[in-house]
Amino acid sequence: MLIVRRRAGQAVLIGDQVEIHVLEIAPGRVKLGVVAPREIPVLRAEVKLTRETNLAAAQAVPAEKLAELARRLRKEAPARGAAALGPAGEPSEQP
Amino acid sequence: MQFCTRHFGTIEYDPEAVFQFPAGLPGFEDQRRFLPLQQPNVEPIVFLQSLDRPDLCFITLPVQTIEPGYRLSISAEDLRLLGLPEDRQPEMGKQVLCLAIVAVAEGRPPTANLLAPVVLNLENRRAVQAILSDSPYSHRHPLPAGGQEDPVCSSCGAGPAKRS
Repeated sequence: MLIVRRRAGQAVLIGDQVEIHVLEIAPGRVKLGVVAPREIPVLRAEVKLTRETNLAAAQAVPAEKLAELARRLRKEAPARGAAALGPAGEPSEQP
Repeated sequence: MQFCTRHFGTIEYDPEAVFQFPAGLPGFEDQRRFLPLQQPNVEPIVFLQSLDRPDLCFITLPVQTIEPGYRLSISAEDLRLLGLPEDRQPEMGKQVLCLAIVAVAEGRPPTANLLAPVVLNLENRRAVQAILSDSPYSHRHPLPAGGQEDPVCSSCGAGPAKRS
């Protein structure tokens, strides 16, 4: 990894087309500005993490694993969990 | 309305119950309509069933069932997508419902994404998966795992064996 020290107002260039500007530095955080061509997506790293976890979460789960998870959650937090969903969809038959 | 799902068979639903995701979800940007489903035998789990893909159904949990003191920090952009005022965070349970997507994989404990809750606006039925900013939460928050319930403690003196 290349490590560069920069002050507020300074920038880093990546190739000919990408510029990263340090706009503001505060304790514990930094504000960056990114200039990049439209075809280069600029995302916070969390978006990628969330995409990966969503793709993993979309896999089918065996019914008995679900029941087991639900049972443990009820045991840990029996008083919470009632969700106010408004008009609810009700499965017309059990899976 | 009726929709044929892979996991629940044919379901009957009220069109009013559908949530619109104007931006989809990361990894599923083209999925815009989801229906929350609850089943009595697996409470507090809430299923988020896609109404565009019969086989796509997320397992979710209300965030407070995982983290009772859960705090939101939704970005202005996501608040705008939800049709909410940008100057304050919405009230959980009244204005919005927050669900954490659960990933269940073979061989490790299930995890919930507390960093990016699905926020459902109960008033206008719009929803986003909001990636929180400045959040202390993990995208892989561990949930109670199977197979290690009430471990019998063999070394804490409660067992019948006495070492001499």
